[in-house]
Amino acid sequence: MSVSTKKEKILIIGIGGGLARITCKLLYKINPNIEIVGIDSRPVDHTIEIPNLKTYRIQYRRGEFENLFRTHQFTKVLFLSRVTHSSISSNLIKKRLNLSLMGTQTILELCLKHNIERLVILSTFHVYGALNDNPVFVYEDAPLRASLAHPEIRDVVEMDQKCQSWMYEFKDQINTVILRPTNIIGPSLQNGITTYLTHPLSFYPLDFNPMIQFIHEYDMAKVLVRSLEDIPLGLYNISANEYLPLKEAVKKINPHAYPLPIFPLEKINQVLNKTFIGVPNYLMDYLKFPCLLANRKFLKIVGPDFFHFNTRESLETLGIRRFHALSL
Amino acid sequence: MLKINFLKSAYLREVSQKVDERIVLLEKRYQDVQDPWGLNINTLKKSLKTLYPLYDKYFRVQNFGLENIPKTPFIVVANHSGQIPIDGVLLIMSFLMKTPEPIVLRGMGERFLFKLPFLGKLATESGTILGDRKNCRYLLSKGESILVFPEGVQGISKDTKDFYKLQDFTFGFYRLAIEQKVPILPVSIVGAEEFYPLVKQNKKLAKLFGFPSFPMTPLFPLAGLLGAIPLPSPVDIHINKPVYIDETLNADAPNHKLEPYVKEIKNIIEKKIHESLPKRRKMFDF
Repeated sequence: MSVSTKKEKILIIGIGGGLARITCKLLYKINPNIEIVGIDSRPVDHTIEIPNLKTYRIQYRRGEFENLFRTHQFTKVLFLSRVTHSSISSNLIKKRLNLSLMGTQTILELCLKHNIERLVILSTFHVYGALNDNPVFVYEDAPLRASLAHPEIRDVVEMDQKCQSWMYEFKDQINTVILRPTNIIGPSLQNGITTYLTHPLSFYPLDFNPMIQFIHEYDMAKVLVRSLEDIPLGLYNISANEYLPLKEAVKKINPHAYPLPIFPLEKINQVLNKTFIGVPNYLMDYLKFPCLLANRKFLKIVGPDFFHFNTRESLETLGIRRFHALSL
Repeated sequence: MLKINFLKSAYLREVSQKVDERIVLLEKRYQDVQDPWGLNINTLKKSLKTLYPLYDKYFRVQNFGLENIPKTPFIVVANHSGQIPIDGVLLIMSFLMKTPEPIVLRGMGERFLFKLPFLGKLATESGTILGDRKNCRYLLSKGESILVFPEGVQGISKDTKDFYKLQDFTFGFYRLAIEQKVPILPVSIVGAEEFYPLVKQNKKLAKLFGFPSFPMTPLFPLAGLLGAIPLPSPVDIHINKPVYIDETLNADAPNHKLEPYVKEIKNIIEKKIHESLPKRRKMFDF
């Protein structure tokens, strides 16, 4: 990535996460003239040391977004925020589905209205679903079957499909890139897979051992930055080239991890979910069945040596985090 | 005491040594390759050490025509029988243990197999993959060989009256062979039907439990899992000469154009079965 001096103003939706912080730093590194406006509905970390970065904590409402787009003349938008999913009550699911879809629709409309040059949307590989009959590599054109087994994730699936149809409908007006990354791991992240792998009481499934892929947070940030630069309009799976069995991945971080059968854990989790402390049920499927992504389309554009970390190195960085967590 | 003596027997030591030798050869082949389906050479080694005595002493498998195995990737097409896919396991073991170089023949598993705790894991780590066309295509392109039972569930779940009657072959394997330009290796398996000599399929129970079939024998399900133990029927595996695909054929040709070719494969397998049936060994003649 070469250094640029172009005057650009980027809106990052979801600045509160670890990935957004790394992306900001990378963006500034390649273009010191860049202006970044970051928003989040979660508490925002104001310690990111980047000049020209303004962060706001806002409610994701149409009015708030409209004000933001009117006040700033954004050239590009990076949409990292997803409404998280749970399965607590059907009423909540309905409300969340509505919020998620309507919120996305608002952002898409505003991007179009304010002549945004480029929009990058971070979706997830969870839309494909971890299923016992997944082919070995899932390509971008594979059906999105996650919500077949778990209706509570249909907001994420519908949001992805909405963005996809929108991307092609307005392909002449705005350059949209949709990314479906595999498990993103790294010491700055607090997502489900990172928490699972670094938990002091980590375990691996005794009765299943699916193959799993990872991408390091730094590499993912590089993907986001590159997508804001010159990746052609389209939908891309993002994953490193390697894959390994889940047991091996867990053992690399914690050699003393213990095996547990998933079947009873699933049942316990279903009960815990009703008390707000469980893991979303659909995530348990990723401990049972594989969902390996074919990354050929993206690597064809960026080249085979684009990623900095291989799987072993990515897991090593997590191992260090786990070590620190234990020593505290 | 008897158990300890058996475990320490010279035969088991010999088996263990034999398996270790074969695994060393496999490890050389797979050392730099991570299998995306999850093949685990260590699990394969353990499975082989456990199952080989059954292969050798219980089912007394005999292999014929090992010299017909091509050196390039191929599709093994075999008849399917015996109610549970023991025939597939024995065939895979033959290719691992009896060929000059061990070959991991990748078997195709039914979807429901991979849903099962422990069994799905064991199958995957031992080299079985989901019977999906994309998977087969990918495997063949990577230089692996695959095992196909084109009769499917219809073949394995026959009533006694239909033993050794080959069911209709599906066309997928032939299209795949044309597409990937690989030979077909027809294999005839004799002896597996007699694992459960008296069988009546219960379609209603199969539907109720969501299984592809539900065989009922005089002992199963009445005697529980003990009733599901197969009889020690000796198995003969006949590897026929490979069939090389006519390169002018189109993988997307309509079924009626490919039918004669698929029939030819079926006839080769059927002919060898009928030739071998009269020479079948006795069940309890150890």
